[in-house]
Amino acid sequence: MKILIVEDESKISEYLRQGLTEAGYMVDLARNGLDGHHLAMTEKHDLIILDVLLPDIDGWRIVQSLREADNNVPVLFLTARDSIEDRVKGLELGADDYLVKPFAFAELLARVRTLLRRGNTNATETTLTVADLELDLMRRRVTRSGKKIQLTAKEFALLELMLRHRDEVLPRSLIASQVWDMNFDSDTNVIDVAIRRLRAKIDDDFEPRLIHTVRGMGYMLDSSSDS
Amino acid sequence: MRLLQRPLSLALRLTLLFTIAATIVLSVFGLVINKSMENHFFSQDTDELRVIVDAVQNALATANSDKHSATLEQRFDDILVGHHDASLFITTRDSGTLYISPEPDLSTIKIPHQSQLEADLERRWNYNGLPYTVLLRTFNEIGPDNRGPFRIVAAVPFDDHLHFLNTFRRNLWIMIAGSVIVMSIMGWVAVRRGHAPLHEIISRIRRISARDLNTRLPYEGVPYELVDLVTSFNEMLQRMDEAFQRLADFNADIAHELRTPITNLMTQTQVALSRARTINEYQDILYSNVEEYDRLAQMVNDMLFLAQTDNRKKIDVGPVKLDEEVDKLFDYYGGWAEECGIALERTGAAAIQGHQSMLRRAFGNLISNAIRHTPADGSVRVTISTENSGVTITVENPGQTIPPEHLSKLFDRFYRIDFSRQQGVDGAGLGLAIVKSIVTAHGGNVDVTSYNGLTRFQISLPLHQGPISTDNRLRRDK
Repeated sequence: MKILIVEDESKISEYLRQGLTEAGYMVDLARNGLDGHHLAMTEKHDLIILDVLLPDIDGWRIVQSLREADNNVPVLFLTARDSIEDRVKGLELGADDYLVKPFAFAELLARVRTLLRRGNTNATETTLTVADLELDLMRRRVTRSGKKIQLTAKEFALLELMLRHRDEVLPRSLIASQVWDMNFDSDTNVIDVAIRRLRAKIDDDFEPRLIHTVRGMGYMLDSSSDS
Repeated sequence: MRLLQRPLSLALRLTLLFTIAATIVLSVFGLVINKSMENHFFSQDTDELRVIVDAVQNALATANSDKHSATLEQRFDDILVGHHDASLFITTRDSGTLYISPEPDLSTIKIPHQSQLEADLERRWNYNGLPYTVLLRTFNEIGPDNRGPFRIVAAVPFDDHLHFLNTFRRNLWIMIAGSVIVMSIMGWVAVRRGHAPLHEIISRIRRISARDLNTRLPYEGVPYELVDLVTSFNEMLQRMDEAFQRLADFNADIAHELRTPITNLMTQTQVALSRARTINEYQDILYSNVEEYDRLAQMVNDMLFLAQTDNRKKIDVGPVKLDEEVDKLFDYYGGWAEECGIALERTGAAAIQGHQSMLRRAFGNLISNAIRHTPADGSVRVTISTENSGVTITVENPGQTIPPEHLSKLFDRFYRIDFSRQQGVDGAGLGLAIVKSIVTAHGGNVDVTSYNGLTRFQISLPLHQGPISTDNRLRRDK
């Protein structure tokens, strides 16, 4: 998987490259709009991360050029300006997602994975499995080690989200947004409580423990861990 | 170019108005005087002519025979002698000339064709470029030798009068023109003087800078018409002063709020770097940093949100079912509340036109705030009620009574009741400010009361395009 980052701020771009490389992606980095435009138009990438505000050619233009050239590579916009007009403009021009600075790296990673998965997900998937945990999406049933577990609708949604994003760190804000449709930062430990309750049902009586807390970042469902 | 588009100055406009008015009034005045002078001289002349014609008539009536013809002519001459430059022309029935003065030739005068004139005919006449006043009369007496009726035409020159009138008229116009000029100058001076208080106010206003917004314009010496201006300007100063103060406070607050986490980060990092540490220690420090950064990011986001909400002129509205929003929020906060031993209750339902995600955020902030301040075994109660004017949503919770002096400031940015709890669970202290901002953007208002251990937040929202009754919608769906 190859990702192009177009970002003129050197610190952010360097850290993004490091983070994404360590997450297992190949990363091309362009530090200005012209290089970014050139790389985007000439090389094949699986995803482009674009800063909107660039000194020469801005992000809008690059997306426009891409779409005019019938290039449907997924584009994730980064911007410091969070206005609805900007968001609408970005989406109209063909951006696939939108992230406002400052953002959590885990959130960026989660969105990158979602965008890369788009198009090759198995929509007909009816069961999700991790270790001995099984989710029957059709019948909304959960079993672990063959034992049936009763979950509320939201707990089920939360578990489904974690299974679909296994081995990814899910920030609390992303969980709130995806499971409860709460798109504002709430400074409460609501998500922690929800995770604790889910853990009590699927993890406490079993080995290995699947849900892990990633300090300062969020939660992760680890399919390989045995800690 | 832009100067041309601006209307003329007030002083110029008023002066022009004065000038035009004075010109019109004085001109009419002059014309009337001139006309009446002319009429006066004309009637003076006709009076004189009438005396002549009367005398002629008398002479004709008393003459009785042809023999007297010579004496008659003599009598006519005598009549004319007493009247300076007067001339006479008398015709008989058969258009014969009975008498004619040598100059001017009155026979050339055009006489109306009717042979009989009912009354005297008075008119102006020009002969050889000289003006005359003429009187015509038909004398119906048969007279001597049956030569009547006679037609008598008498004339006196008008040019002396005309000469006087011309001189008089010239002087009159010169005086009028002079008066107009004097009045215009006086008008201009008066307008300038009248504007003096305005210039005074302007120079005072000019002296006000951002530093002394607390000064007010004095009312002394301000004419009645300008009192409203001074009042409005002072009110504007007041508002600006408050806004400036709020901005200054806000800036100070931001600086203060940022200083704490930045100090934490700096100290922590510097201490950590002061000597080599284990990987675990480094990790701990980085984790702790992430938490601090998170808080900073959230504060920045909240402040941006506030700035945007406050600057937004209009919000995109759609139907929002308030009860559904509250239920969703209860679902979200439910687990947390349950762990704290707090029940969540809702009564009432309503739908309004509003911005869904903003309203959700406002209610969310109030509900989480309520849960946070409710003791275990208490319950947070949300009531939605519809009134004529709009919808009221109250969020009430049992808990420590908030002292009245704090209530009005609760919605201020960064305001916290307990200052020792700075970076505590209340977040950046922007939650309630965000609530107020959202509600204000919807044209509503938010209020808080607290007594007897019960705190109640009340949001009033206008219905906008009228309520969309939830019941109706359900019925339509069927």
